[in-house]
This record gives sequence, structure tokens and C-alpha cells, in this order.
Amino acid sequence: MSWYDTNLVLIQATITGLLLALSIQIPLRMGVFSFAGVGAYGFGCYAGAVLVLDHQMAALPTILVTTLAGGLIVLVLGLFINRLNGLTLAMATVAFDLIIGVVAVNGGETTGGATGRYGVISDFTMGHMWTILVVVMVLVALSERGKLGRRIDAVRDDPELASSVGIRVYNYRLAAFFVSGLLGAAAGAMNILVRSAITPLDIGFHLIVLALTMIIVGGSLSWKGAVIGAVVFTWLPDVLQVIGEWQELVYGVIVAVAAVLMPRGIYGLYVEAKRAVLRRRRTRRGAVRAAVAAERARTTDDDEALAEMEDDLGSPSVTPGGSMGANL
Amino acid sequence: MTTSANERVAHAPDSGTPVFEARDVKVYFGGVKAVDGVSLKLMPGLIYGIIGPNGSGKSTLIGAMTRLTKLTSGELLFDGEPYHNASASSIARKRVARTFQTVRLLPDLDVRDNIRLGADGRQDERPNLLSRILGIGGSPATDDAIDKAQLHGFESFYPSELSYGTQRRVEIARAISTNPRLLLLDEPTAGMNQTERAEISQLMKSLKNDGLCQLLVEHDVQMMIDTCDHVFAMNFGKLIAEGRPEDVVRDPQVQEAYLGRKWREHA
Repeated sequence: MSWYDTNLVLIQATITGLLLALSIQIPLRMGVFSFAGVGAYGFGCYAGAVLVLDHQMAALPTILVTTLAGGLIVLVLGLFINRLNGLTLAMATVAFDLIIGVVAVNGGETTGGATGRYGVISDFTMGHMWTILVVVMVLVALSERGKLGRRIDAVRDDPELASSVGIRVYNYRLAAFFVSGLLGAAAGAMNILVRSAITPLDIGFHLIVLALTMIIVGGSLSWKGAVIGAVVFTWLPDVLQVIGEWQELVYGVIVAVAAVLMPRGIYGLYVEAKRAVLRRRRTRRGAVRAAVAAERARTTDDDEALAEMEDDLGSPSVTPGGSMGANL
Repeated sequence: MTTSANERVAHAPDSGTPVFEARDVKVYFGGVKAVDGVSLKLMPGLIYGIIGPNGSGKSTLIGAMTRLTKLTSGELLFDGEPYHNASASSIARKRVARTFQTVRLLPDLDVRDNIRLGADGRQDERPNLLSRILGIGGSPATDDAIDKAQLHGFESFYPSELSYGTQRRVEIARAISTNPRLLLLDEPTAGMNQTERAEISQLMKSLKNDGLCQLLVEHDVQMMIDTCDHVFAMNFGKLIAEGRPEDVVRDPQVQEAYLGRKWREHA
């Protein structure tokens, strides 16, 4: 058997874990501290099982219907709790997740009660799974670029500033809930289609911890952080099996150390390193000295600063020492 | 000459429809009357200033004008149309831009992207779908704002790498990049030296020549005199005087409120 086939279950778990992590990360990127994606994941698992087992629906329509329904449910939740913020909002969404768990236990034949649903066999293939993943990742990556990326940053970092440049913050927050529901439900539906069984214990509080750990350690501001987190925390327990009963301790230490030493996650380290390289390049090119000289030239009548700036820039397009007014 | 409270609005520069008008605007925070019945008109192509001691309600008034601060009562009109029930973002889309009392730049965006955030909302700067999605392509409005604020060389810098004065200029550039009709500047020269202040003053005058109406909140009296066409003085949430800057700063009420009773006696 190839490495791919041997590790297929872990690969599937990584993909569903990644989508689950994104369902928490996307709202966080918009400043919405919501775990509703985990509830949507639970809904997706059960809805997928019901559609396949009770309605003999094919895999792709099942995923489509479940995903849209999950998005709408979390959107409606968002309409009610959108005004909340921070921990209060987080708690409201945790309550939503717990309610999904309670419904799963008490849902009678539909959810299978405490034993859940099993035998969910469909025409779902890894080709479907990879295609869905690629589409989702491309869309998420695009949301971090250009105008949309800037606006999401503004909504997260300074909603008041965002409003002052014409951004409808309320709509972005609602969109955060909707997308969170879509991703969570898609992850849940794919999970049931590859695992074929679901019980209430599978959609418990531990999923919130897992998804949050993935994006805190991986990095909360980019899809790349979610990928890193999903890979690390899906494969780490497998790797740590060699140390037996100590694995949970080591797992905990890794999370604690990452949280303390890498507040922006592993991907954050890369971003910081990239900026440091950029700064060094600027210094090497003399851009910093030129900019500082330009500052000095603007704010003083120092002839030396003017000369230095001319030397550093060497560009005829820059008016050495030109005051702001001179260029207007 | 300065005017009494009843005559204030009538004596403001008045030709045609004001860009902005406030009618008996009140903003109360519990028992604190931050803005208490302010009425004023702002005409196109003029630079207005508001002076007043700390806590006199200047920034709260700007907050109310941009709908970021909730009005207790009163009316706000833009181009003669009431907007006091509109959202802050819709006011911005009417091309009312502002800077804040403390610098507010996004830490994870470089200078160019911070400025472009303002240009993103412009109707006349809609890139094609592909460039919008991929985030590539130029932005003439951003380039123009960088030119005006003289930020060449700083485009790839992040806010944490800039001096306070330069951060201020980035904020002003962001506001300019929205192509505003009304520009509200809340202490834009705080932390700047005299030369930088003179440059901001010069920048405001050049924008005035483009027909832009500007309202400047500032403590630097000399800058107000040099820059503004018309100045309002506030104390305890009320307008206490208005008129030409040199007249307002000589007003005994203003001197007592803004500069202190002792200073006035010496003067």
C-alpha cells in the first residue's frame, strides 16, 4: 500500500479538521468571536446521515443541501446575537453548539439518540473531497487579498474606522456567521460521508478546543495558519503514540509553549520574518535612510539632509526638500 | 467681530446650500452634556475650525456629525437632506471623511493599503473584477493621496515602523483618498513640529482650492488663524463664539474659556 492509502483516514481527518478550523477562523478574522461553526459541524454530520440514510440522497447533493442549511441556521443565529461581542458572544455560540448536542441525544429515530446513526454509505469519493477542499481554499485565500482582504482587516481591527470609510460592518459580521455555518456544515457532511457513523459524543465540546487550538497554534489571521494547525493537530497524536501515556502531557506543553511564545501562531512567525527581511532589504537599498532624510529635509532646512536624500534616492521624480505645499 | 449665540448662524459665511448643517444638536452621556444645542452651517470650499478646551465637546460633535456618536436630539443635514438617522457607513459613502483624535491605522496593512482602504469605497475607482478579486492593479486615488501627503518612500512601511507625525499624514491621506466633499480633521497636527504643522495647513489650503469643505479641530491657535476662514469656539458643549479666527481668539469669553482667566487678565 502506498503512503497515501495507509494514511487515508488521517488525510480525511485533516481535511475535515481544516474546514472546521476555518469555520472558527473566518469569523475571528472579521472580529466575530464565534464558535457556531462547531454547532454547524454537528448539524452537518447528522443532516448528512439523515439525507443519505432516510432519503437516499447522493453524496454531492447531500453536501450541498447540508452546507446551505448549516449556513442559513448560523445566519439566523447571527441575526439574534450579532450585537453581542467578545466572551458574551462566544458563550452564546457555545450554547448553540451544546443545543445541537442535546438535540442529537434527544432526536429520537431521526438522530438515533445516544447511539447515533451509522452505516452511512454513499458515492462520496476522495476526488469529491479534494475538489471541495480546493474550491473552498481558493475562495478563502482570495478573501484575504485586495479590497475584500483590506475591508475584513478593518472590520476586525477597528469597526469604527471601518464605518468611517463606508464599510457596512453589520453586513460583514452577518456574513461571518453565514460563512462559518457553511464551512462547519460542509466539514460535518464530509465527515459523516467518510466515517459512515456519528454519535453525540463525536460533536462535543472537545471540537471547540480542537478547532481553537488549530488556529491559535497555526495562526489565526490566514488560511495558511489553519492549514498548519490542522496538519499539526491531526497528525501529532499519531506521531506521539511512541511515547505512550505521556503523549497528552507533551501535546499540552506544545500548545502552551506555542501560545506563549508565538501569540500569532506558527504562520505569524513567518509573517514577522518576512517583514524583517523586507526591513533589512530596505535598509540595504537605503530606502529607510532616504525616507528619514526626506523627513528631515521636510522638517528642517538642513542642506546636508537634502544632499543625503538626493544621494540615496537618486531619482529625478522626487523633489528634494520640497515641502508638502511645493508638490501641490 | 464675533457674534452672540442668537445671531451665530446668520453671520456664518452663507452663499447657497450648505454642505453640512447642524440644528440644535445635543449629545448627552447620562448627566454629562457633551454637546448641548449646537447649530452651525458649513459652506463648500471653506475651511472651518473648532477651538475649545479639552472636554468642551469638539470631538464629540465630530463623532455626532459622522454618526459614530449617537445623537440625543437635533438634526443633521448634508446637502440640505437630513441624515441624523442614517448609519455611519452611509454618511461616509456620501463622501464625508474624517481623521481621529488618536491615530487609527490598521497594523497589518502597509501604508499603501491603509490609504487604499479609503479609496476602495470610491464610486469612480472600481477596478475590473479580476483585479478586484486578485487584489492587483493600481489605484490612481491612492497614488494621488500619497502625492498630496508626501508619503513617497513610505508605501511599504507598516504603521509600527513610522514616526507619529508620519502616521498622522497616512491617516490624512486615507481620508483624502475617499475624494471627500466634507473633511473632518480631529487634531491632525498633534505630535507634529511647526514645519509639519505648516505643511498640513498648506495641504488644507490646496484642498480648499479644489472646493472641499473642511472642519478642523485643533488646539494650535496660530494654525487656526493661518488656516481657517471661519472659527467656532466651544465650551461646556455649547458654541460660545464664532467668526473670523483672529476675532474669535480675541473674544473675552473665548480667552477665558480656552486660554484661562489669568492669561486674559495679563493680556
